[in-house]
Amino acid sequence: MDVAKFLQYIASGTAYTVGVTLIALPSGLILGTLLALLNVYSGKTSKALTNLYSTVMRGIPPIVLLFILYFIVSGSINLSPFLAGSISLGIVSSAYQMEIVRGAILSVSGGQMMAARAVGMSKRQAIRNVILPQTLRLAIPPWSNEAAIVIKDSSLVYALGVPEILRRAQLISASTQQPFLAYAAAAVIYFILVFITSRLLDGLEKQLRIPANP
Amino acid sequence: MKRLVLLVVVITLAFAAVGCKSTSDHLSAIKDAGKIVVGTSADYPPFEFVDEAGTTTGFDVELMNEIAKRMGVTVEWTDMPFDSLIAAVQEGKIDASIAAFNYDEERDKTVDFTDAYYTTEDSFTVQEGFTGDLSDPMNLANYLVGAQSGTVQDGWITDNLVTPGLLPEDKYFRYERVDQAALDLQAGRIEVLMADYVPAQAVVSQFGGMTIVYHGVLSTGPLNIVVPEGDTALKDEINRVLKELQTEGFVEELAFKYFSE
Repeated sequence: MDVAKFLQYIASGTAYTVGVTLIALPSGLILGTLLALLNVYSGKTSKALTNLYSTVMRGIPPIVLLFILYFIVSGSINLSPFLAGSISLGIVSSAYQMEIVRGAILSVSGGQMMAARAVGMSKRQAIRNVILPQTLRLAIPPWSNEAAIVIKDSSLVYALGVPEILRRAQLISASTQQPFLAYAAAAVIYFILVFITSRLLDGLEKQLRIPANP
Repeated sequence: MKRLVLLVVVITLAFAAVGCKSTSDHLSAIKDAGKIVVGTSADYPPFEFVDEAGTTTGFDVELMNEIAKRMGVTVEWTDMPFDSLIAAVQEGKIDASIAAFNYDEERDKTVDFTDAYYTTEDSFTVQEGFTGDLSDPMNLANYLVGAQSGTVQDGWITDNLVTPGLLPEDKYFRYERVDQAALDLQAGRIEVLMADYVPAQAVVSQFGGMTIVYHGVLSTGPLNIVVPEGDTALKDEINRVLKELQTEGFVEELAFKYFSE
């Protein structure tokens, strides 16, 4: 048995893990931001609807949603396991990211919206030029938490047959009967991925900080 | 009136189009594409596992590759957890599945089975030094038992021991994979592992410190390839090639290669 080769096999699953995360996280951010804006700035109906969405999505375990989307929805549309898994994770994440962005919007004082409107900006202009730039900065620390969660949740797509890190570790564990080695390798890779991501986001947070707003 | 006629024509055509998507089309679609998408769960040596080069191999895998070759197509292997395979065939995510599947009435309701390509037995694996008595399989009810979930062994234990109340639910442990169950057997969390005889032998030789105290046919029997429900064209084609391979002794040679150790 060649341990190095097996470890390399597990490590080559990293591409899938990174790929799933790179689709899920940004699509969740875009969807989540739109939902948060609807929640805060639109009427009662959209507030109620987005709240319902957030409650339901956060109430379903990601793996269950993954199976529903893959086996029921993609029965009619032909989605590859990779895409189906990534999009489902993005949808799950959008509910959490909506709450993150919503919290950040609410922490920008309401007077700023009024001031922006008073100098003649439309609501849309005010959101784009005054509220969102601050919101997204404020959202970075909680968002890096969500990023770590999505990286780790990407291991769920193994259930659909995407050969990412966890699935590869399982296969190696089965063929070598050395579960500790296989799962330790997977753990190290996940840790490195999360570590790098949170460092990058820390850096981004410092770089984008508004000087007057320490 | 004209509109009504048009509507009828459109509806008829639509149904005809749906009707055309018959099963023989699935086989010709496979042949046209030159590939058949086959699902397996490559965590079940020696039937299917990943080798050092990272490729999926094993008894089932080599057999399916040869069947496909003789059908004039190549296999595109898709790996997924055993539990997901039947659903994937049902939903058309994969064209067929080979993963040491035993015929099972419940499964037969949603998918179809080809002819048998190999016959397996059940086995009870225990730690060396086990002093219990398992000469009667029903004695299994007296021990802490483990099996792989979704397998025929799982079904047999549930139907014969758990449902009649012989084996309390909290003394029966279902595992996603057989190697996890073997680990728990080694750690003493379960006393008996019920599994297919051949993979159990692989587990015993790889883990050590274990022995097989019983083997025989309880839940198992013939292994079959799973194809979509009602897909007789694909089933007949696979059966035709299987018969050829059995007559030539190919299956026997393959079994000797993988199971003889």
